[in-house]
Amino acid sequence: MAQRLAELVEELTTAGEPQLEPGRLKELKKICKSSDDHIGHAYRLLLTKLREPHAQVRLSAFQALRELFARSHRFRTLLLADFQEFLELAVGTEHRQPLPPPAEVAQRLRKAALRCVQDWHDKYGEAYKKLALGYHYLRQNKKVDFQDVHARTVAERQREEEKQKRLENIYKEKAKRAEKEMAEMSQEIHETLTEMENCFRLLLPDPFEFTVNDTTPEPHKEMTANEDSPAPALASQTAVTQSYVGFMDDEQPCCSKDILSASQGVRTEKNEDLADKQETPEQKELDEGTSSGVESGALALHDDDYETFVRNHGLISHKYTLDLEISTDLKVHENEDNTAVINNVVDAHKLLRNKFLPSVQSWIQLFTRAGINDDRLRCAIDLKNKLETAMKKYKEMNICFKERKVMKASDDDDDDDEDEFVEVPEKEGYEPHIPDHLRKEYGLEPQSPPKAPARKTPAQPAPASSRAQLKGNEDELDPTCAAATLKLIRDKLPKLTPPHASESASTEPAASEEPDSKRRKLDEERAKAPLMPFGLDLHYWGQDQPSAGKILKFSSEHRFWAPSEVEEEVENNEIAEMLKTRYITFAGKFEPVKHKCRAPMPNGSLCERQDRIKCPFHGKIIPRDERGIPVNAEDRDREEKMRFEKQAAQPEWRDPEFMREVEAATGVDLGSSKNDGKGGKKKGKRKKYPNLTDLKQQANTSRSRLEKKVFNKGAVKRVVKAMNQMDQRKHEKFANQFNYALN
Amino acid sequence: MAGRPLNGPQRPLTVTNRPRRRRRSPPLEPACQQRRSPLAGAGQPRAQDGAGGGGCRGGGAMLGFLSGRQAGLDEPLRLRRAEATRRVLSLELNKDRDVERIHGNGINSLDIEPVEGRYMLSGGSDGVIVVYDLENLSRKPTYTCKAVCSVGRSHPDVHRFSVETVQWYPHDTGMFTSSSFDKTLKIWDTNTLQVADVFHFEGTVYSHHMSPIATKHCLVAVGTKSPKVQLCDLKSGSCSHILQGHKQEVLAVSWSSRHEYILATASADSKVKLWDVRRATGCLTTLDQHNGEKTKASSEAANTAHNGRVNGLCYMSDGLHLLTIGTDDRMRLWNSSTGENTLVNYGKVRNESRKGLKFAISCGCSPEFAFVPCGSTIAVYTVFSGELVTMLRGHYNNVACCVFQPNFQELYSGGKDCNILAWVPALREPVPDDVSDKCLPQQHLNPAYEDAWSSSDDEG
Repeated sequence: MAQRLAELVEELTTAGEPQLEPGRLKELKKICKSSDDHIGHAYRLLLTKLREPHAQVRLSAFQALRELFARSHRFRTLLLADFQEFLELAVGTEHRQPLPPPAEVAQRLRKAALRCVQDWHDKYGEAYKKLALGYHYLRQNKKVDFQDVHARTVAERQREEEKQKRLENIYKEKAKRAEKEMAEMSQEIHETLTEMENCFRLLLPDPFEFTVNDTTPEPHKEMTANEDSPAPALASQTAVTQSYVGFMDDEQPCCSKDILSASQGVRTEKNEDLADKQETPEQKELDEGTSSGVESGALALHDDDYETFVRNHGLISHKYTLDLEISTDLKVHENEDNTAVINNVVDAHKLLRNKFLPSVQSWIQLFTRAGINDDRLRCAIDLKNKLETAMKKYKEMNICFKERKVMKASDDDDDDDEDEFVEVPEKEGYEPHIPDHLRKEYGLEPQSPPKAPARKTPAQPAPASSRAQLKGNEDELDPTCAAATLKLIRDKLPKLTPPHASESASTEPAASEEPDSKRRKLDEERAKAPLMPFGLDLHYWGQDQPSAGKILKFSSEHRFWAPSEVEEEVENNEIAEMLKTRYITFAGKFEPVKHKCRAPMPNGSLCERQDRIKCPFHGKIIPRDERGIPVNAEDRDREEKMRFEKQAAQPEWRDPEFMREVEAATGVDLGSSKNDGKGGKKKGKRKKYPNLTDLKQQANTSRSRLEKKVFNKGAVKRVVKAMNQMDQRKHEKFANQFNYALN
Repeated sequence: MAGRPLNGPQRPLTVTNRPRRRRRSPPLEPACQQRRSPLAGAGQPRAQDGAGGGGCRGGGAMLGFLSGRQAGLDEPLRLRRAEATRRVLSLELNKDRDVERIHGNGINSLDIEPVEGRYMLSGGSDGVIVVYDLENLSRKPTYTCKAVCSVGRSHPDVHRFSVETVQWYPHDTGMFTSSSFDKTLKIWDTNTLQVADVFHFEGTVYSHHMSPIATKHCLVAVGTKSPKVQLCDLKSGSCSHILQGHKQEVLAVSWSSRHEYILATASADSKVKLWDVRRATGCLTTLDQHNGEKTKASSEAANTAHNGRVNGLCYMSDGLHLLTIGTDDRMRLWNSSTGENTLVNYGKVRNESRKGLKFAISCGCSPEFAFVPCGSTIAVYTVFSGELVTMLRGHYNNVACCVFQPNFQELYSGGKDCNILAWVPALREPVPDDVSDKCLPQQHLNPAYEDAWSSSDDEG
């Protein structure tokens, strides 16, 4: 009877149905009715089922419990003795112990359990004290609203709140970090913005700063027609700056004002009036009406003899409408005067675009997500607006770059070097160039005629200007200059001609002599030859270094006492070699793997792995046909042999079929399914509870699989070990430094 | 006396000179039932637990006691003890006894006044203090202990934080004391519910105690977060002593119930110290769990009573032994005169409380019992043999305190689930014998106890 009871409970709870099967339930009740012992037994069985971490099992167990609870006083006392646990398992009162998945069944279980508790309380609450206590506990402590449709317990709410809180905390933390970052970075941003603003102003002075009366914002982009004014001093300036030169304040050279007024020939007034000129004629008229009171006396005076003025200039009427063509598209051309400024602007813009704007945007996002709605957010938005206006302005500037010089190693550098040298103001009292006739006076030997002209190879182009040449010579005479050092080296090693020179010297005559084919070949080779950075080995190319690798050795380090033989030369081959060797790392070239493993797999498909040499599952990769059978005969033989050996390794009595038969006969699991591999195992498990939802399958997400791998105990241990080792290595490395040695 | 003992088991057999106790109504049990099955139920004190402690006696034994008493062979104390023990062993959650729900938060401390045993104080973790009347004067079996008065949240002098300990003034119900996490100890006038005096401390107060027997002093020992135990003199209204010696917070204090100047303190530094408050130099002894034996373990932790925080302390009613409980999940019984560990093994006593734990020891039973909160249950141990008699299950969250009512052998427990549960000795139920089997269902007082199997054979 007891065994039948166990079977019944097992069958009932693993059916996975929303309702219990009535036939089995009836049988169960019948057995329970027969004796109190059976009731106790059934109770224990059902409670164990209720503890299963599967909502479907729990739901079925709960339904069976409910049936028996309504029937038997003994069962009631038993269940009420463990009522706390029952509530935990069926309602999920403990918030650390939520109901198990699947979620929808758990929800149904909770609803049913709560309804049931209420029914029980109404019916039996007076008689069973603990039931009443439990009901009150649910209602008052866990704040379960029994009328609530969702039947959410406090525990559940708490869980949700906790989750929310955790998220909130994370956001808050992030927001705090962002705030800190913002505090640190806003200074930088503001600096960059100011820098950029100033650069803009330099490139394109703001017209408003020079106007007296506030006009419409429109003239920001407008230009006067005096672009073509012939101002030689400003010829090199950008067109835009030209156009605004007239409106510059007193610091500007006054000639520009003169030029402007002269070229336009309309007015000869002061700056204030000139400022008006940039306006469109319509505005001009309007402004003249409104601004007359404000403007200086010059204007008033001008109004008086306006007529004469008109006449003097041979104009018939002052009612001319002057159409000025204004090009709205703005363009800043780069030239040598504003290169630095433009470079600055470009750099700043790059910084804004790549660094500041993304971080500011991320801050705003963070703040809004964290629900922060105060100064911080406002500040971030302000910053973003500023950044965006700056970027917009930059775009409107429409800077057109000069072609950048790309410094290449292959450039003939002698001249370039000299050009690159910055002109340094001469030192006081220092005479860079001592004329030959004065050298004696200075106690110097008369200098041999400079090598510079001789050194210049004919292949090199002539220096750009004589001035540059002179400058180069002067540089060479300045001992603080790198050029001078270069020269010194050249002078001291006269026999060492620079590599370029020697090369060109040797190749050129050869090229002229030898036939074309050879020359072409040489050219090809030269094209193929790698470009190498200059090094000692190239420096000493093809030369013997007699003194190379020789080291002077002092045998005594005493201050006063010294051995009779003062010096001792030791030859060091390594150093000698160093002058002649060059290490070149040869990494090879990456070639993607094109073949696949293609070994046949148990599920019938072919292995898709693309390893270069060896597949971790199927060994060395060999050519196979489309069915996965090795093409080569010996491979086929080998594989056959391996399979045979594997079978032989299994003892004969463990023949899977035989085992299965034995198992079927005895009903004992001998593990035959294990030998079959994964497929068999799974099948066995499914067979056990075919009606229940497979929780493992639901939980089998990529995240969980990764978790299993990453948080695997062995893996964690391994990582910890490796990190400890690394730490230790650091200790060994810096053991002689006390602050590392201590911790 | 001899003519009335059968009148009802609910009636205590203590000899008392207070008329109030006699007024307590006997349970409405038909006398015929009693006669038909005399005291038979005593053999099964708790039907569902089936637990029988050391003092479990059958009805025959009780008859023997009675006849011995009737013949004047036994002294009255023996019968009294036997009945008290039986009653303690049959403690259960009774549907007829309830305690009014006033607290909206967990209950931290309970105390029954020793004068009459009638009024109970309870301190909640929201600062509320309630006074209950435990006496049932309604002459009906069902009784809900009513709250006589309470210090609610709206009271001007209410404790701001959780009340940790409440205690009646031992000689009078006109005064009680309460200490709280708001770093105060308050002395209350019961009748006006006004604060008579307030003592302020530097740390949160975990526990305080007044000597139940003191006649020459009026000191309240206070264990706070600081390692110094403070003694507050109610006569002068000031802190008179400071007892130094502990290294961490003092979680429990208790005066000896035998010597009025002896005080025991338990601290988080896992030490229990006994003090004579007249001695200025230091403590009398520090209890040592290894009794001074130099083992490897003891050499490191010299003179510790437990291996974790000691958070519970209780003298037995005769004051000869002291029971301590610590977070190492152990309970130890000490000889309070020698400070010796009696090495009674109670097994694992689950103790997760981070504050003081208030447990109780019975009084007047022949093996004494300790009632120890253990998670959401109350474990009942025999004190001297260390046997776990039964677990009382009824709370739905952790139990924080329990208190024993010695006159009626009732137990009251308070827990975090806001319930105060009354554990009352079970009524003697007649054992169903063969003759009365048929008519038993009709005897059920409540139809809810009946089984409800469907009558047809094939249906369950």
